[in-house]
Amino acid sequence: MKIKQHITLHRVNNVLFALIILINVYIIAAPILPRVTFWWDSHHTARRSQLTQLIHQAPSSQPAPRSNSLIIPAMMLNSPTLEGPESNWFNLLKAGIWRWPDSSTPDKGGNTVFLAHRFSYTGPHGAFYYLDKLKPGDEIGVIWNNKTYTYKVASSREVPPTETSIEDNTTDARLTLFTCTPLWNPKDRLVVVAELEKQS
Amino acid sequence: MSENTKFFILLALLIASIALLVYLNDGANQLLLKH
Repeated sequence: MKIKQHITLHRVNNVLFALIILINVYIIAAPILPRVTFWWDSHHTARRSQLTQLIHQAPSSQPAPRSNSLIIPAMMLNSPTLEGPESNWFNLLKAGIWRWPDSSTPDKGGNTVFLAHRFSYTGPHGAFYYLDKLKPGDEIGVIWNNKTYTYKVASSREVPPTETSIEDNTTDARLTLFTCTPLWNPKDRLVVVAELEKQS
Repeated sequence: MSENTKFFILLALLIASIALLVYLNDGANQLLLKH
């Protein structure tokens, strides 16, 4: 009886040991998982080219009506954009990409500002996790009222949160995307500015 | 070391690992949310 108990406890201990190892391997690997996932999606799936095609598809070949959304192939992003008042900022940012209500819209020209969190590399509260991957020349598509607006990234820079001029309206049609940076101590803002190239 | 002692040590380590995992998944995000 005692030997049987000993064998059972030994097996339980083995299971506990395996669980501890698994959890800790995950904890150690967690910081590099977003990079590995991004690398895999960019090099071994057709997602990037599918998103590029989505931007360049003729509007007539697309099912209507389409919800307002942001398509960024270089970030593997295709996500709806949200509208709402500043008083509800916390819930809107938790739910995804929010258009700054005081900013313009793509159909009106001027400066259209979108912002989102980067708390996780998956899910809506991490929509702009890969915003730092954008480089000058990368394409951004905005679906707005069933029209597609194509922008090209012009610049990417970091500014302190006090620099609110990034939200100011402009005479040229542009897109401003911003999120917090750096990832684990987000004291600044990462700002990407893109210029309108065409609309269809 | 007896299997009983091993069991309690492993149990404590498992609880600590789960607590760390929960903190990193939720606790750290909560800290970030303050910004």
